[in-house]
Amino acid sequence: MANPQAHEMAHQHLTISREEILERLQDRALAIVNVMPKETFAEGHIPGSLNLPVAEIESRARQLIPNSAQEIAIYCAGPT
Amino acid sequence: MGEQAVGLLRKLGYSNLRHYVGGMAEWMDHHCAVEKSESVIVGVTGPSSTRAIAMRHESWLETIANWPLKWLVGFWLGMIVVFGVIYWLAGVGMGWGLQAGGVAVKPDLEGLGTAIYFSFVTALSIGYGDVTPVGALRILAVIEGIAGLLVFGCVISKLVSRRQEELTEEIHRTTFEDRLDRVRTNLHLVFSDLGAVQQLQADQGALTGQVVRRLESTVRVFRGELQTIHDLLYRSHVEPDEETLESILANLVICLQSLAEINASRPTANGHSAILDAGLRSIGNLAKEICGECVPRVYAPALKESMDQIQELARRLA
Repeated sequence: MANPQAHEMAHQHLTISREEILERLQDRALAIVNVMPKETFAEGHIPGSLNLPVAEIESRARQLIPNSAQEIAIYCAGPT
Repeated sequence: MGEQAVGLLRKLGYSNLRHYVGGMAEWMDHHCAVEKSESVIVGVTGPSSTRAIAMRHESWLETIANWPLKWLVGFWLGMIVVFGVIYWLAGVGMGWGLQAGGVAVKPDLEGLGTAIYFSFVTALSIGYGDVTPVGALRILAVIEGIAGLLVFGCVISKLVSRRQEELTEEIHRTTFEDRLDRVRTNLHLVFSDLGAVQQLQADQGALTGQVVRRLESTVRVFRGELQTIHDLLYRSHVEPDEETLESILANLVICLQSLAEINASRPTANGHSAILDAGLRSIGNLAKEICGECVPRVYAPALKESMDQIQELARRLA
C-alpha cells in the first residue's frame, strides 16, 4: 500500500459468500483464485480453484486470466 | 493477504474482483469439498481461460527441452543408436541399405558398426560422406539430422541457462542480504529515535510541536522500512534465514511497542497531526499484513510468537 488512501480503497471491494461460491462451483463465468503459495495450495483448496500466489500476481496474472472483465473470486488461508 | 491480492489485481486492471474473506479456514469449518494436489485450471473455462489453457499446453519440443540434462543426453544417444539400427535393418531386410565407397554395407556385425557410425556422423551434421544412404534411407537421414540438431541444441541451452540461473541466484542472494542488513540497522535507528521522543515527551509533559515534527519524520522512516520488510517477505525468491528474521521481528516488536506507548499517551487535542495519523494507520496495516496467516513461508514457533505480538500491536495502531 503506497499511501493510506490506496489502502482505504482496497477495503471497499466487493466480497463473495461461501454459499455463492458453493452454488457456482460449476459456473464457468466465475474464476476462483487461490492466492496462497504453491505448497499450501497443493495441500488443499476449493475444487476448481486456480493458483496465483501473491508474489506472482504481477508476473503471471495476465497469462492466467487474460480477460480483465472476468469475474474473479479471491481467497487465501483465512480472514487475515 | 487476500486484500493485498485484490489490490494488486485491481492495479493490473481487473475490474470484477470479489473477495472470499473467510478463505480456506471458513471453507474447511463448514466441511465443504476440498481438492488436493496440483490441479491447475479446472474450474474456469469460457473464452478467457481456454486461452490460458492453451498457453499452458506445451509443444512436444518444449516438453523435451524441459527434461533434465541427463535425460536429454540419454535421449540423444539413444536416438542415434536407434537410427543406426534402423539403417542396418533396412539393409538386412529390404536391400536398400547404406553404401560405403559404392559398395553396399554388409548386413553383419561390422555392418551394424558402420550403420551406427553413419548415424553419429549424420546426427552431428558432420557428413564425411564415406558412408552414404541409398533410396528411402536418405529421407530418414535428413530427419535424423534435424532431430539431432534440435536435441543437441536443447542440451547446449540447458548447460548455458543453468550457469545463468546460478548467477542470478547469487545476485539475488547478495542484494537480499544487503537489504536485510540495512533494514536491521534502520530499525535500530528508528527505535533509538522513538526512545528520544519518549524522553522528550516525559521531560516536557506533553508533545510540543517540535517533538511532533520529529515523531512524524521517524514514523515516515519506519513506514519505509516496513514496506521493505513486506517486500522482502512477499516478493523475494530467497528466504531470509531464521536468525536474521528473528532479530528483525524482535526489533519490529520493540519499535511498535514504543510507538504504541507514544500513541497512547498522545493527547488528542494537543499532539494532533494528520500526517502522524495516516502514518500510524498505514504502519499498523502493513504490520498486520507482514504477520498475516498467509505469509508465504513456514516459520518456527518462536517466530510465530513475535508475529502474534506484532499483530496485536498493529491492531492497536491501525
